[in-house]
Amino acid sequence: MNARVVPVDVPWRRETASLGMWVFLATEVMFFGVLFLAYMHARIVDPQGFAAASRLTHEWLGTINTGVLLTSSLTMALAVRNGWAGHRRLVIRLLWATAVLGLAFIVIKGIEYGLEWRDGLVPVLNFTYSGAHRRAVETFFFLYFLMTGVHAIHLTIGVILVAWLAIRDRDPARPVRRRESAECIGLYWHFVDSIWIVLYPLIYLVDLYR
Amino acid sequence: MNSPPPIRVYLFTWLALIGLLAATFTLAHFRLGAFNTAVGLAIAAAKVALVGLFFMHLRRATALIAIFAVATLFWLSILFGLSGTDYATRRITTAPWTTPDGH
Repeated sequence: MNARVVPVDVPWRRETASLGMWVFLATEVMFFGVLFLAYMHARIVDPQGFAAASRLTHEWLGTINTGVLLTSSLTMALAVRNGWAGHRRLVIRLLWATAVLGLAFIVIKGIEYGLEWRDGLVPVLNFTYSGAHRRAVETFFFLYFLMTGVHAIHLTIGVILVAWLAIRDRDPARPVRRRESAECIGLYWHFVDSIWIVLYPLIYLVDLYR
Repeated sequence: MNSPPPIRVYLFTWLALIGLLAATFTLAHFRLGAFNTAVGLAIAAAKVALVGLFFMHLRRATALIAIFAVATLFWLSILFGLSGTDYATRRITTAPWTTPDGH
């Protein structure tokens, strides 16, 4: 398809694309929803066990990472916004900033995984925790790795999409004004951010006051 | 819908998000009993609402898109509501051949 001949300012095209993205995100919410449901059930079964497990997480790394991801949502939203206003160079810079922040999140998450491997908190592969509530702690970390892992895969896909957009936008023949691709990737990015926003208190903040 | 929102809308949203992050992290260090989890989830919901309304432009979205966003939450409430009543009203009984810890 040649972008030069497709009229990009047709409003229905944009709305159709956004609506399609929202439908996709609805299915994604249901996908993550069952994992949150599993977490809720396991936590109700043994609340003390989940509190004990949460104390083993690295809350400072998690908090810094939340700040990184929230900031990446700002740069992504500004990229979409400035595309709307037609500022190409600014859009490209903001997209790269978003990709770099997304990568920073993944690197910090990797450091955290490394610490958990060192502490023997990885179920099945390397789980040496033998304190109280062993079974609940194992369930917590099983869900932790499953949910943060699936989240990290989503974020990696997001970084690739944002980088692709930034590289593509260098072509001056391509219009940056209100493109469906940028708006849809933006929606996806904010969705991935939102999943992390909900995960954050459930992983790190369960039992900090002790 | 034709002119983009002013940049300050995005900056204020980001400031509010970082403020809420600081608030939830700080409050988690106080002993609030059952409210620790409630406060954490309420602040998370507020943050998701800010992201949705201002970063995902739900505030300016067409009625159709707004309906789909709300429907998402509706289906999620069915998932949690029906599964929740199931778990809340049934107990797991161990079968004769299970090990002592019930698994």
